[in-house]
Amino acid sequence: MDTPSAASALDVRRLGRVPYAEALALQEDLRTRLGTGASGETVLLLEHPDVITFGRSARADSALLGDAELRRDGYEVFRVNRGGDVTWHGPGQLVGYPILDLRRHGADVHRYLRTLEGVLIDALADFAIAAVRRDGYAGVWLDEKRKIASIGVGLRAWRTLHGFALNVDCDLARFRAIVPCGLAGVEMVSMASVLGCPVELEAVAARVAVGLVKAFA
Amino acid sequence: MPKQIRMPKLSDTMEEGRLIAWRKKVGDAVKRGEVLAEIETDKADMEFEAYTEGTLAQIVVDAGATVPVGTLIAVLRLPGESEDAVAAAQGATTQPQTPAREPQAPAGQAPATPAQPRAELPPPPPGERVIAHFAADDDRIRATPRARRLAEEKSIDLSEVTGSGPGGSILVADLESYLSQLEGQPPDSEGVRATPLALKMAGERGTDLEAVKGSGPGGRITKSDLLAYWKREHAHSKEREAVMVRGTLQLSQKRKALIRNMVRSKAEAPHFYIQMDVATEALRNLRDALNREAGEKRPRLTYTHLMLKAAALALERHPHVNATYRSEENDIALYDAINIGLAVDVQDELVAPTVKDCQGRTVWQLAEEANSLIQRARMRKLQPADYADGTFTISNLGMFGVDRFYAIITPPQSSILSVSAIAERPVVREGRIEIGQVTTLGLSVDHRVIDGVRAAQFLAEIKRLLEAPRELAQDGHALGS
Repeated sequence: MDTPSAASALDVRRLGRVPYAEALALQEDLRTRLGTGASGETVLLLEHPDVITFGRSARADSALLGDAELRRDGYEVFRVNRGGDVTWHGPGQLVGYPILDLRRHGADVHRYLRTLEGVLIDALADFAIAAVRRDGYAGVWLDEKRKIASIGVGLRAWRTLHGFALNVDCDLARFRAIVPCGLAGVEMVSMASVLGCPVELEAVAARVAVGLVKAFA
Repeated sequence: MPKQIRMPKLSDTMEEGRLIAWRKKVGDAVKRGEVLAEIETDKADMEFEAYTEGTLAQIVVDAGATVPVGTLIAVLRLPGESEDAVAAAQGATTQPQTPAREPQAPAGQAPATPAQPRAELPPPPPGERVIAHFAADDDRIRATPRARRLAEEKSIDLSEVTGSGPGGSILVADLESYLSQLEGQPPDSEGVRATPLALKMAGERGTDLEAVKGSGPGGRITKSDLLAYWKREHAHSKEREAVMVRGTLQLSQKRKALIRNMVRSKAEAPHFYIQMDVATEALRNLRDALNREAGEKRPRLTYTHLMLKAAALALERHPHVNATYRSEENDIALYDAINIGLAVDVQDELVAPTVKDCQGRTVWQLAEEANSLIQRARMRKLQPADYADGTFTISNLGMFGVDRFYAIITPPQSSILSVSAIAERPVVREGRIEIGQVTTLGLSVDHRVIDGVRAAQFLAEIKRLLEAPRELAQDGHALGS
């Protein structure tokens, strides 16, 4: 079905800042092409302009404002087919969308989530940030309360959509319009807020790209 | 035979899945590959496809419910099959009709008896629909709505009842057998009534049940009553504790890493300790001579630099000390490089930047690199690579007047040298008491890697190098010159 190179290589694309709708359409196109063998496995690494997305499990009270008010405050709003509750994306946050066929990687949804977390934890360690997994709460955490990266994926016939969002150096106040992941009492932090100094998104993207290739190529 | 559709296992570690939404209604035709439902586990949503063509005959588990992997969630009627066949596929042998999707009998009527043959994952009995509830009061207890109603009427604590339905869900029959068990049980000698489980739990923790209020059948104290009581007590003790604490300190990432490493070291590495006194007159003379000779051309040598050189030479000669125990492989790995960490205190934070590849380097080269690392540590400019990959560590508390101490080994290393103050002490030489300049060196050793004799030989080597220190000033490997 695939050419040998397409089966073994992972194409990591760094796209810069991309509007949410555009990135979603690109993901869906890539997933379809992955299914037909027209393209191989891909990861999109990018930033979004201010946007709030609701997963399929989002609870009504996870957004503190209505859609109209959110839009007035400069957020785009989307409802998407991914796991998890509500989240925010915006400048300074590294977003990764792996388009993979999980049957090539063990056909195990949890293992996939844990692998994504592992890639981010390793990348954070390179910046002297000790991050951990939290049992029962997908994502990457510093401790019980402070979350640094969110994860939510969607699968069709084992082919993945959506992915992760790592707070590198973003305006954390933009999370205040929502209850991130529907978990009250969770504080979102960024690499910059933890380290107390600016962090280059591109430097982090480079580390994450290496980790993804190691994990999936 | 109609097709039973069960909650799929999307991961080896998946135990239950949530049905987010049905994409098909009962009566809808379904083609192979069409999406039937969306299922969530953890933070992954999966579109769940039909593998066979047919008609969606029945939805057993409603959207929003969470059920164990393997639970029957729907029945698909294959082309040409009748509705009766669907009922048979469901295991509903006691009722000829397809069971209604809403509970139709009032509470009190017993469901299908457990006498009916059970598959590994039994289908729900007719009339009782299995739904997972996540109510706050009894988190994650599965029970049929009828059982739940009956439990409320009779003040039964569901957490005490063992369920025999699908996925351990509680059925009306389970409640009835639980109640009959309670009735046979008299109050205890003090007249306190409690359920057997609550009695057992209270006994285990030595809780006096007279202080606990019962809300179960006949005023009995239940497991939930006991848990609520313990929670209140715990909150009270926390309040009392809060009065005694002056303040709390936020932990830095480095501090957290240190806590983890030190706990791990003491828990995993069996430490033992040896110490030796070292006469330091010759070392002082060498240091002063070298500094005079070098003038401004070279960094000023300190005792720390000379200790670093001595440790590097000793490690080179005792490679089994420059090693680590690997639990996964259950072997001892000898390090190729000699990388010596220097424990430095920077504004209440302990860091150990590592002087890399010490073998074959002169004391001045080592001094220059150590100075640069320590300076960067003081300016908080160390990169993670600067304190990585150490194979041995020197901790020096001499400047704080410490006479002797033993540091904790930094995993995965297998030893650490503790350097104390150099001081004038009475020493015995050739039968006479004299005043000598002395320091005490401590060595903490991981016994998995290094035995007592080897540790002694290694520390004796350092002592010898410091007491007759000419080798420390020689260039690299040119020891014979």
